[in-house]
Amino acid sequence: MGGTLTETRDDVALDVPWNVIVHDDPVNLMGYVTFVLMKIFGYSESKAAAMMMEVHQRGQSIVWSGAREKAEFYVQQLQSHQLKTSMEKAE
Amino acid sequence: MKVAPTLEGGLKISVESAVDWMVLRCIPHDARGGDLDLADHLSSQMTGKDGEDDWREFVLPDLRDNFNAQISTIEDALDSFSEELEEGEIFIEKEQADFWYGGINQARIALEERYDFSSEDPIEMPPGLRSAWFRSQFYLHVQSLLLEHVMR
Repeated sequence: MGGTLTETRDDVALDVPWNVIVHDDPVNLMGYVTFVLMKIFGYSESKAAAMMMEVHQRGQSIVWSGAREKAEFYVQQLQSHQLKTSMEKAE
Repeated sequence: MKVAPTLEGGLKISVESAVDWMVLRCIPHDARGGDLDLADHLSSQMTGKDGEDDWREFVLPDLRDNFNAQISTIEDALDSFSEELEEGEIFIEKEQADFWYGGINQARIALEERYDFSSEDPIEMPPGLRSAWFRSQFYLHVQSLLLEHVMR
């Protein structure tokens, strides 16, 4: 039985991860920023507090990296808690 | 006015005078005051980024609804008391704490945007500005209690 041999090749392009960035502001309490990072990402208190301190001292901190859709979800969650947040492609 | 945690895990605000009511009614007033669009303000770092238009179209309206609901929660709680009352007790239950915290936070953000307290020494502030600063400090105190005793 004759047949056609076909070769398939998956075109796999790796997605560039997106960074979720929290920016410093003069209003939100340090304890609240830590609380929100724990609540949204499930981080330990020490990890969340370290990120909060980076926001406070350096003006911003990358709090999560990954797929774009999920990054958008996290940015929305953080903004709904009144944290100034943005996202950008990781370099 | 006294603000203290309750045994049920909430917060009780004991109002003792007409001035106390006035201060509490300033929370939604301050939060809604000014021209600040908080949702837009929080998203300002997204400006010029890929997907900004979609963000404005789909996400910002939800954020605005959420922020309005927070202020309405506080307004509804205060409206349930007659303006002629001198004394009263407001209970913030655990389930409402996020809304109260968020509404008060909006008031603080709006005041900070309007007055930029960081550059002023409270002792040298003119009366109107000092009044706003004291309100901001009171809001901060209530937020700290909510965070420490109710939300965590």
